[in-house]
Amino acid sequence: MDKHYCICIGRKFCSGGRNVAALVAERLGIKMYDRDLLKKAAQNTGFSEKFFDEADEEKTRKGLRSLFMNHLNSNGLSNNYLSNESIFNMQSDAIRHIHEQEDCVFIGRCSDYVLRDSDRLLNVFIAATTDDRVARVCRHADEGMTPSKALSLIEDIDRKRASYYNYFTGRTWGDPAGYDLCLNSTVLGYEKCADIIVELAKERLGI
Amino acid sequence: MSELKTPQELGTEKIGKLLIRYAVPAMIAMLASSLYNIVDRAFIGHGVGSMALSGLAVTFPLMNLSAALGSMVGVGSGTMISLKLGQKDHKSAQMLLGNSVTMNVLIGVLFGVFSLLFINPILRVFGATDVTIGYAREYMTIILAGNAFTHLYLGINCILRAAGHPNKAMVATIGTVLLNTLLDYLFIMVFHWGIKGAAIATVISQVLAFTWQCFQLSDKSELIHLQRGTYRLRGDLVRNIVTIGLSPCLMNAAACFVVLLINRGLLKYGSDVAIGAYSIVNSFGFLIVMMVMGFNQAMQPIAGYNYGARQFDRVLRVLYLTMFFGTIVTTLGFAITEFLPGMCIRIFTDDPELTAIAMTGMKLTFLVFPLVGSQMVTGNFFQSIGMPGKSIIMSLSRQLLLLIPFLLILPRYYGINGIWYSMPASDFLSVMLGVSLLIPQIKKLKKMA
Repeated sequence: MDKHYCICIGRKFCSGGRNVAALVAERLGIKMYDRDLLKKAAQNTGFSEKFFDEADEEKTRKGLRSLFMNHLNSNGLSNNYLSNESIFNMQSDAIRHIHEQEDCVFIGRCSDYVLRDSDRLLNVFIAATTDDRVARVCRHADEGMTPSKALSLIEDIDRKRASYYNYFTGRTWGDPAGYDLCLNSTVLGYEKCADIIVELAKERLGI
Repeated sequence: MSELKTPQELGTEKIGKLLIRYAVPAMIAMLASSLYNIVDRAFIGHGVGSMALSGLAVTFPLMNLSAALGSMVGVGSGTMISLKLGQKDHKSAQMLLGNSVTMNVLIGVLFGVFSLLFINPILRVFGATDVTIGYAREYMTIILAGNAFTHLYLGINCILRAAGHPNKAMVATIGTVLLNTLLDYLFIMVFHWGIKGAAIATVISQVLAFTWQCFQLSDKSELIHLQRGTYRLRGDLVRNIVTIGLSPCLMNAAACFVVLLINRGLLKYGSDVAIGAYSIVNSFGFLIVMMVMGFNQAMQPIAGYNYGARQFDRVLRVLYLTMFFGTIVTTLGFAITEFLPGMCIRIFTDDPELTAIAMTGMKLTFLVFPLVGSQMVTGNFFQSIGMPGKSIIMSLSRQLLLLIPFLLILPRYYGINGIWYSMPASDFLSVMLGVSLLIPQIKKLKKMA
C-alpha cells in the first residue's frame, strides 16, 4: 500500500471544481496542488516555469506550432526537451514526486492517469450545468463579458482540456467510466460535493 | 523513486565536450545513410553505365514520396512511444508498436501497388525519357515490390531509437549499408545483373535488417516487444501518429516536388545525361548536409535544455560552437568539390560527357557552401529553443520557397546553367534571411543572459 493517498479532481471549466477541491483539502488538512504543480516541476528540473505554463492544459499549442514542433526531428535522433511531450513527462515526474512525499489533492493535469498504479487514489470529476457555468464566468470576468462570449470561452477551454487529456492519456476526458465519482456541483452545491468526496475518501483510502 | 528525465549534465558539463559526445553517434548514423546513396550510385555508374545513373535519378521523387509516408509513421509512433514509455505505460506503447507495424504494412503495400500500376506515367512525369525509362522501371519495380519492407525497416528503426535503443538502430543502419555494398558488388560487378542488381541488393539488405529488428523486438523481457493482439488499428492512436508525423511527411513531400522540378528542368534545357550528373552532385550535397545535420542533432538537447534552464550564456556558446563546426564541414565540402571535382566524379563514372556536365554542376552548386553551414545551424537552433515557426521558414526557404522561383526563372536566361545557379542563389538569399532572423535573437539572449 502506498504511503500517501491522493485525490485527483478533474473538472469542466468553471464548474467550481477548484472550490470543491479546496474544501476537500481543508477538511482533510492536506495540500491542494493546482498551478503550483508547475512551479514544483520547474524547481525539480531547473527549467523555467514559463515552459510548463505554456504547455499547460488550457494552453496546449495547437495548430501549426505543435504540428511543426517535431519537423526536424524526423529521424527521431534528438530531443530538445522543450516539446509538449517532454514538458508533460517532467510535470508527471513532479506529480509522482509529490505523491511520494505527502497526502494531497491534485487538480487536473492528467494526475489520475499519471498515478494510475497507486492503490490509494480517488478519481473525481466535477461538472455543472452550462447555465450555471456561464453565469459563473460572467460573475468573475471583467466587464464586457456577455453570456454568448462566456459560452464560447467555456466550449473552447473544455475542448482544450479534453484534447490535452485525451492526447496524453489515451483515455476520454469526462467519461464517467474513467472516474470513481462524478458530481454535479449545480445540483449538490460545493459543500455537499466536498462532503461526499471526503466521506468516500475516508472509506476507501484508509485515512 | 521518481527520476528526472533530463540529464542534468546538459546544464553543467563543458559545452565542447557535450557537443562532441552527442555529435559522434549522430554523425555516424547520418554518414551511413549518405554513404548508402554514394555506394549505390557508384556501382550503378561504373557497373551499368551513365544512362542507368540517369534512370536511377528519375526515380528519386518517387523514393522521396515513399520516404515521406514512412517518416510520418516513424516519427509519429516514435514520439508517442517515447511519451508512453516516459509514463511507464507499457501497454499503450505496445499497442502503438503494433499499430505502427500495421500502418507501415498498409501504406507500404498500397503505395507500392498504386505506383506499380501507374509506373510508366509516373516516371514520365518525373523526367524519364525513352532512353532512361527502361532503367528506371527495372529498378523501381523491384524497389516497389519490397516497399512494405522498406517502410517496416525504417519505421522500426525510429521506434528502436525512441524506445531507448539508439545503438541497435545504428547497428541496423550500418548493417544495411555494409550489406548493400557487398551485395551491390556481387550482383552488379560479378553477376552482371545491371541496375536490377542494385535494387535487389537494397531490398535484400532491408529485409534482413527488418528480420534482425523483429528478432530484437520479440524478446518478451524487453519493455516493448511485438505481441499478438496489438496489430488491430485503433482510431485514436492512428490519429495521434498521423498528426505528429504530418510535418516531417510534408517536408519530405516538398523535397519530392523540388527534385521533380530539377529533373524536368535539366531534361528540358539539357539532356538525360544532365539528370545523371545531378544525381552525382546531389549525393555529395547530401553527404555534406548530413554531416552538418549530425552536429545539429547534437546541438538540440544541449541548446534546448539550457534554454529551458535559462542558462542563456550556455545556449549562445553551443550555438557558436555548432556554427563553427558546421562551417568547417561545409567549407571543406566546398573546397573538395571546387578544387578536386574530377576526383569526386570519378567515384561514379568514367564517361567523359557525364563527367563534363557533372563538373560544371558541381562547381556551381556548391559556390556559397561555406556560408550554408551557419544557415543550417541557425534553422535548427530555432527548433532547439522551441521556435519551430522560424525554423520551418529557414529550412523551407533554402530548399523550397526561394529555390523554386529561381528554378523556374533562371534557366530561361542561362539554359541548363540556370538550374545549377539556382542552388547557390537560393542558398545565398536564405543565408541572408538566417542572419536577419538570428541577430535579433542573439541580442535578446544576450540581454537575458
